[in-house]
Amino acid sequence: MHNVSQSAAEQVRRSFLGGPDGVSEWFQSLDHKRISLMFLAWTAGAFLLAMILAIMPLVKAVGGRGLSAQLLFETLTYQRLLHVVAWLVPAIPGIIGFFLLPLQIGASNMAFPTLSRCSLRFYVVGLVLMLGSLATYPVGSGWTLDTHLSLLDPGAFGVLMVGLFFMGLSWFLTGVNFIVTVHHKRREGMGFFDMPLTAWGLYLYSYLLVLSGLIFGIIALYMAASWVTTEGLFGWKSDPMAWRSYFWFAIRPVTYFAMIPAVGIVSDVISGVSRKASTGYRTMVGAMIALTGIAVASYGVSLVGQGLSPAGTLIFSALSLLAAVPVAIIAITWLSTLYRSSISCSSANVFCNAFILHGGIASLLGLFLASPAVGAFLGASMFASAQLDYIIWGGVSSALMAGLHYWWPKMMGRKYSDDVARIGAVLYVVGLNLALVPRLIMGTKGVPQDLAGLVDSSLRLAEVSSFGWLCVYFGLAVIAGNLLVTIWGDEAAEENPWGATTLEWTVPSPPPEDNFS
Amino acid sequence: MIGSANLSAWFPEWGSTHAPDVDVPFFDIYVVTVTILILTVGLAVVFTRTFTRKEGDPEQMPAVGTNKILLGLGVVGAIALAGFAFQTGLSGFVGQRVAPYGAFEVSVTAREGVWDFTYPDGHVADTLRVAVGQPVHLTMTSQDISQNMSIPDLRVNQTIMPGHTTEAWFETIRPGTFPIRTGAFSAATYDSMTSVVVSLPAEEFAAWQAAVGDIFAGRTMAEVGELLYNQQGCKACHSLDGSNLVGPSLKNVYGFEFLTTTGETVLADDAYIKESILTPNASVIAEYQPVMTPYAGILGDQEIQAITEFLKTISDRGHTGGQEDK
Repeated sequence: MHNVSQSAAEQVRRSFLGGPDGVSEWFQSLDHKRISLMFLAWTAGAFLLAMILAIMPLVKAVGGRGLSAQLLFETLTYQRLLHVVAWLVPAIPGIIGFFLLPLQIGASNMAFPTLSRCSLRFYVVGLVLMLGSLATYPVGSGWTLDTHLSLLDPGAFGVLMVGLFFMGLSWFLTGVNFIVTVHHKRREGMGFFDMPLTAWGLYLYSYLLVLSGLIFGIIALYMAASWVTTEGLFGWKSDPMAWRSYFWFAIRPVTYFAMIPAVGIVSDVISGVSRKASTGYRTMVGAMIALTGIAVASYGVSLVGQGLSPAGTLIFSALSLLAAVPVAIIAITWLSTLYRSSISCSSANVFCNAFILHGGIASLLGLFLASPAVGAFLGASMFASAQLDYIIWGGVSSALMAGLHYWWPKMMGRKYSDDVARIGAVLYVVGLNLALVPRLIMGTKGVPQDLAGLVDSSLRLAEVSSFGWLCVYFGLAVIAGNLLVTIWGDEAAEENPWGATTLEWTVPSPPPEDNFS
Repeated sequence: MIGSANLSAWFPEWGSTHAPDVDVPFFDIYVVTVTILILTVGLAVVFTRTFTRKEGDPEQMPAVGTNKILLGLGVVGAIALAGFAFQTGLSGFVGQRVAPYGAFEVSVTAREGVWDFTYPDGHVADTLRVAVGQPVHLTMTSQDISQNMSIPDLRVNQTIMPGHTTEAWFETIRPGTFPIRTGAFSAATYDSMTSVVVSLPAEEFAAWQAAVGDIFAGRTMAEVGELLYNQQGCKACHSLDGSNLVGPSLKNVYGFEFLTTTGETVLADDAYIKESILTPNASVIAEYQPVMTPYAGILGDQEIQAITEFLKTISDRGHTGGQEDK
């Protein structure tokens, strides 16, 4: 008896969460699990801020008076930038990636622990600079930062661009770290095709992070310089297509295809909760590799209807349509895994189904935008921006929540209330579709992304959409609150509540500092 | 089919011959994708409900390989779907990019919040008037920012960029007033339609064209000048009430003396006003930037004379030609 309680006490002491550690111990930490939790806090903070900013256009949308155009543009600019740059791209690698990648492949830490810390610190520096420019002299030229409009804009543009440079650097370092970790830190005897699909998704996405982070960082610096001198590659006399092409080449793969690690997560969660190994594991890996290639090749489809030549429109539309094949394979594989499995119904399931719905809609909307005549008309409208919303608020967020609810017992060693999580999930799913379907319709009616011209024809739609957003906010608050209260709760989770077979479930919950020993 | 009752909720009413090119492929894809979505999500939910964990289930269910036939069907189906989506929007896309021979040519120059539509007869206006049933070919460029020439009712969406010349064409099928949206995050274009396309029945359009063909007919010189002030985009930067915008107000200009950026004093007489319109940046009033568009080649002598006459009517020294009132 004495021995048991002593070893239990030892286990608690050795948990990565630590005991009395203060802020500086966390700040200096090289432990991938602590970095993951800090990424959770920072990205959730950025998401929350973007949510608060998103309320402003809603006020406008329901006929609010007295909101100046400039203020609205600034809000829309920062809301979208924060969502894309500080949430959509870094959230899954930062939270799920840093926590799970070493655990899933049997490693004690990332290959470069110091780089992990750099990733987080550069993210924070980037975020602080972005918020600095928001607080001092906001930029209002839209999140795609079109050259000439941005040069006219008097905001603290240089500060914002340096912030984006640090964000790009953070993505780049994360990607390098993940790739090397997968290559060199796999447990003895674990081949590439023995890795869980989450690890595969993160590994493939890392290549996009490296490519995009590098290019985005460089062009952000160039743009900052052009803004100071009004000369150069993105200067006043430059071709506006130059910035647009570089920007979308850097941003398109890493944003629209943030779905790749999301697919990995959902595969593992489906397999875990249904107590059945993923059907067609190698087919799935092949589909994810294909998506990674298509991600880079089809970047130009974001330029359709925004100045792309007719030939370019046809080529990039055709390339992006290739994604239909891997997406179909993924859907069939998941359905086959679910078929004749043994599902322990839980909120994680609900979020998986939410991902199938939202990810499905986002992918199918791609068919509209890649049909040349339709894409050329809708490419710059609210229809296209609602597709991105389906990825940010829908696909990636659903997958992340599925992952968090699946792995939360492992991460924190605590149980959460499944019923409350389900209520939040229903509010979130219903709300999000109420919010975004009207936006799709408004897009076809010609409402551009900046909501101009809303008042005459689509006020009712805007009202429905705003009500939907209200449900989303409420649902997310319920979901987040439900997870957060477990930190102060004391209901310990089992080591392997799902009966899953992957390596991360073989360590105690929460895992000790050195993972496996 | 599915959701057909709601199809009218999408898109504005057809306004041009391009409308079916966009709407028909859209609804083709709509019907197929909604079916796929309902099928996929429906199956996922049904499976989740059906295959819940029961007493006696093994710890791990036996893993199975993917059904090759199902996978093959999926791949073929996906290729067919992608091909269908591409093909259904292809002919309309090509058709929208090849203007018919003999179309009515209008050249479009955009600035932030200001549009100049130049007709074949040289007439310039800030709204685009067209005749129903006549193809109109637009050749467009921008002088400052990139924006869109988006006319939702006509299913036209084309980018306008500095340093580029882009094209679009359309043929309206009904009379009406169709807003033009720019989609640019620009305060100058916000909360108001920047311009409209006015589609007129052929005979009304012909009558209008005859009337504007000679803007001097039935008007005094000063009235023509005021018309040009409103049509040519002058009002974007120059007020008539003495308030200074991007450029100086035009009230009390004619006959007054001004200090230029080079420190010289100029008298705003007929010659200086003509120079300021044709080569505005040659001599700029102090404290202003040399940013005005030159109108050389746009306005003729008679039109400049008309503007000068108009400026005289809003200047206290309009009739004294620079002499102090006695």
